[in-house]
Amino acid sequence: MRFYVFRNFTVENLFGNPEFIYSGYNDILTCDYQSDVYLWLYFVPVALNRSKLKDEIKTYFQSIELIYNNVPANGTFLIFTLRDFYNIKYQNADFSVENEIDNFNRQVVQFAKERQNVKVVDISDFVCRYSVNQLVDWKFFCLSKMIINPKLATSFKSWFFEQFDKIQYKRKKCAIFDLDNTLWGGVIGEDGSNGIKIGGNYPGSAFLMFQEGLVELMNAGVILAICSKNNENDVLEVFRENPYMRLKREDFSAVRINWDSKAENIKQIAEELNIGLESIIFIDDNPIERELVKAFLPEVEVPDFPEQPYELLPFFSFLVEKYFSVYELTDEDKLKNSQYKANQQRDLAKSKFIDYSDYLKSLEIEIRIENANKFNIPRIAQLTQKTNQFNLKTKRYTEANIRKIISENNLVFCLNVKDKFGDSGITGVLILKRLSDAEIEIDTFLLSCRILAKDIEFAFLNEILSIQKQNGIRYVNAVYMPTNKNSQVSSFYEKAGFTLVDEELGMKKYKLDLNNITLKEISTLKIEKA
Amino acid sequence: MREKLINVFRKTFEDLNIDETVSQKNCENWDSLNHINLIVELENEFNVSIEPDEMDEMKDFYAVEKIISAKLKA
Repeated sequence: MRFYVFRNFTVENLFGNPEFIYSGYNDILTCDYQSDVYLWLYFVPVALNRSKLKDEIKTYFQSIELIYNNVPANGTFLIFTLRDFYNIKYQNADFSVENEIDNFNRQVVQFAKERQNVKVVDISDFVCRYSVNQLVDWKFFCLSKMIINPKLATSFKSWFFEQFDKIQYKRKKCAIFDLDNTLWGGVIGEDGSNGIKIGGNYPGSAFLMFQEGLVELMNAGVILAICSKNNENDVLEVFRENPYMRLKREDFSAVRINWDSKAENIKQIAEELNIGLESIIFIDDNPIERELVKAFLPEVEVPDFPEQPYELLPFFSFLVEKYFSVYELTDEDKLKNSQYKANQQRDLAKSKFIDYSDYLKSLEIEIRIENANKFNIPRIAQLTQKTNQFNLKTKRYTEANIRKIISENNLVFCLNVKDKFGDSGITGVLILKRLSDAEIEIDTFLLSCRILAKDIEFAFLNEILSIQKQNGIRYVNAVYMPTNKNSQVSSFYEKAGFTLVDEELGMKKYKLDLNNITLKEISTLKIEKA
Repeated sequence: MREKLINVFRKTFEDLNIDETVSQKNCENWDSLNHINLIVELENEFNVSIEPDEMDEMKDFYAVEKIISAKLKA
């Protein structure tokens, strides 16, 4: 990935080379058109004349508008907010520089809101960890025009990439909790369902706030689950009867309350929820349990649990920061928990039918295929980043990549699925690259595991291929690229009627002649055309 | 001491072949930016503060060694 940095100070030492290319100081006119990401990283100049400084800051937003029109439309544009490191005041009542900075920060937030490929990186999040004397080493400032102390370069770089990961949407999906001394103080088996510490005075108040935080995480699309060594009835009694509990039994999408090994239970939860172990974190106050889970399931993240309940608040903010924060929630995130719960109901419904196609019909599945547009591109990129199991080539794309693919005259589709239990939202992506007038290649084909095993994959593919056939396409090339997660689709293209033409080291190449095949209609679901 | 210094140079300039003959003239990676990086590494490693005129003098390994060892003795 290539980055281009617009800057007014020396920042080469913060990022290094060679992925990063730098503008001249204050130069907004020259630009590298081949970069994937453009950074506007300006710092408030160190200025003794405050009114001149105010005027200079005023020009920044205009220069950003200019730059934005100049950078390629498929590039991502990151704007850093401003903070004043040398805030001298001749009059304490004079806030004109502060106001100008606030004004700038508000303007860029609004600017980003209105544009898909613009994101704001809040420099305060880094700056607030240090005092001004730590942040600036005046020796290097005077010698080399470095405003950030070069001794903080490594911290700055890793902070920046944490923010960048959030923008690219890399986060955990699920948090699994122990119960006693984790979600409440005390032990049910000893203290009883009303004797545990939740609500009221400390330490119950601390656990209460922790639970309130977890409710917010759930609303932000994080899946919650329980893995506890307890008697299930005792626990259910707590959820049912303790009035201080903020979390309810139904807030947890999977629950394992038994005396089996936690590693085994966590594995089962991952299977039940259809998510990978690497998207799970496990939270338990008992260090022995934590070590066992780390040893048996190294993919699962197991943070240390605080020794004292009053440390739960900083612990919670650590969890959010490290595992769950994102730049912006998609609509799917907000729906996700209800979707997983609807999945549980679907599984229950499944047990009532003996004939699978009767079951499928009873679900009243409707799919809708959409062309990529500015509203669904964030979700499309997110799916390419996060989908592991039903993913034929596992190519990861950013929003900028997707926009580039479209601009090169290729086809990007996404799939909406709903059934009688709920709307799963955008859960599938198909990208076709044009090789010639009569030949295309499937560059990406993936479905979220939430909707698998309902023939939706065939309906989605066949629908798009039949449109391509009408448009004069004859040959379709496809590739299955093995990873350690996608073996379930290793024979998908055979099932879809493709002919295997080459196989090497597990990678399978296919071809399909649309003139020689009748694309089967899937009768168990309804397709709404794009 | 010399070995520790050579390691700082190797780490900063990302070149394992660097030895005590290195100078700004014969080392391509020793540019102005890496000069600052070198100063930062030296300050961290030896817990000293290097002043601007000393930075200017540090044009080759021996000059660096002389300045740092003088600081450590003081």
